[in-house]
Amino acid sequence: MTLGEIIKTLDCRVVAGNTNLDAKVRTGCGCDLMSDVLAFIKPGAILLTGLNNPQVVRTAEIAEIRIVCFVRGKQPSQELITLARESGITLLTTSLPMFEACGKLYMNGLSGYDE
Amino acid sequence: MTLATIIENLGLEVKSASGDLTHEITGAYVSDLLSDVMANSKEGQLWVTLQVHPNIVAVATLKDLAGIILVNGREAEKETIERAEEEKIPLMTTRLATFQLAGKLYGLLGEC
Amino acid sequence: MDAEKAITKVQELVYEIKVNQVMVTDVITVSPHNLMSELRVLLHDKRISGVPVVEGTTLVGLVSIEDFVKCLSEGKMNNLVRDRMSRDVITLYDDEPLVRAVQEFDRRGYGRFPVISRENGALVGVITKGDIIRGLLKRIEIDYHEEEIHRYRASYFFEDIIADKTTLIFQYKVTGKDFSRAGRTSSGLKKTLRRMGIPPKIIRRIAIATYEAEMNIVVFTDGGEITAQVTPREIRVEAVDSGPGIPDIKKAMEPGFSTAPDWVRDLGFGAGMGLTNIRKCADTMHLESTVGKGTRLEIAVQLNGAVKHDSGDHH
Repeated sequence: MTLGEIIKTLDCRVVAGNTNLDAKVRTGCGCDLMSDVLAFIKPGAILLTGLNNPQVVRTAEIAEIRIVCFVRGKQPSQELITLARESGITLLTTSLPMFEACGKLYMNGLSGYDE
Repeated sequence: MTLATIIENLGLEVKSASGDLTHEITGAYVSDLLSDVMANSKEGQLWVTLQVHPNIVAVATLKDLAGIILVNGREAEKETIERAEEEKIPLMTTRLATFQLAGKLYGLLGEC
Repeated sequence: MDAEKAITKVQELVYEIKVNQVMVTDVITVSPHNLMSELRVLLHDKRISGVPVVEGTTLVGLVSIEDFVKCLSEGKMNNLVRDRMSRDVITLYDDEPLVRAVQEFDRRGYGRFPVISRENGALVGVITKGDIIRGLLKRIEIDYHEEEIHRYRASYFFEDIIADKTTLIFQYKVTGKDFSRAGRTSSGLKKTLRRMGIPPKIIRRIAIATYEAEMNIVVFTDGGEITAQVTPREIRVEAVDSGPGIPDIKKAMEPGFSTAPDWVRDLGFGAGMGLTNIRKCADTMHLESTVGKGTRLEIAVQLNGAVKHDSGDHH
């Protein structure tokens, strides 16, 4: 899927980062535990998370994740947005809970990482 | 759709079946943060998580959740399984990652 | 830079660069009280197609070469500029991204737009399509140049050093319990290694292992130190703290084992995967700890074609 399709599917708001809507997203990862993100996520994935603290952006930076989507309407702090801008990470928010967000993306053809 | 049908369709491994597997499942809650589940999950939902700590059973009991699915090949701690047996909380595991499991489950339950 | 990468880069840049970064600020203007005949010199000598009309600092209109030609054909060259200029001027704000300018050029088909200050409405510049292209090319050239410099560093860094043995040492202080700043060390080390031209896959492994070690120091101790040693052969990272220590290292190494309190778990850490992650990333791992004194973790990743073996030498 493209970033644009994801934004449309999850009715996302873009809170930081570039809006190259044609950017390709290869796979998804829904996770609130950053060690698991570090251990399993593939570069080029979108990270969906209910965790809302600066470590999300740090983890994304370390694991080479360019797009992070906060689920269930979590609004990232200004500190987090600044950190994301510095690291060139795109931040999205959706009001959908994690289950529905993962489900809709999966049903729209975004596969998980071990497929 | 009953929990037993979901278990069969998704090929889940059952770790504790002392609870009610005929329960009709209408929704799920996906989260690895206990406080989030405490605050936002709803009665009767299936809980999908990476957490294996015995406290997850306590949370599921308190919130009247229909069961817990541990994803990404996580093994439940022995004490977690014991508590699930006692509290009659169905406990399942899967090799699938959260994203895929949630995706497939979402497909099974239909758009809710 | 290959073509596809360059195009993506341009797409990013038109959002990033602001109008005031590429516009021309040295703008030729006329007063509404000038005569149309006075425009001839300007339009002819400066070879421009339109001139902003300014009263004081305020933009009041735009007079184009078409206006001039029409005036000429009507033989009314003694008209004042204000009677012939168009007052309905499309302008851009100086702080808008270039993409807005591109859209306006596309939509209106004009050759130039006056740029006004969002603060006081004063005319601050003029932008043409040429300015946009020049601005973009300049930025790409700078980025490309910087990339080249990094590549130079990458390939010659160690070759340029004349010594029997070379070790670069980077030291970082880690503050305990400061969750919002946690990750700065790993992030800094990662950027440094990237500038040195270390292969990305190696950097990823070092960055992940260091980040987990850093989080352990932040979560469980009052602080510590992380030191990275880079040699032409390997990268070695040492994380030392004077925290409570680990009573049972074997148990601590088990996936999922954690002594983290719930507040840590709710911050997305402490699920007992940290040391497992570190072991997975490192070629060798050494962990020693004394309860009440502190913990010392040392990992190494081989730089030259070493095959990653999973055993580690932890105990």
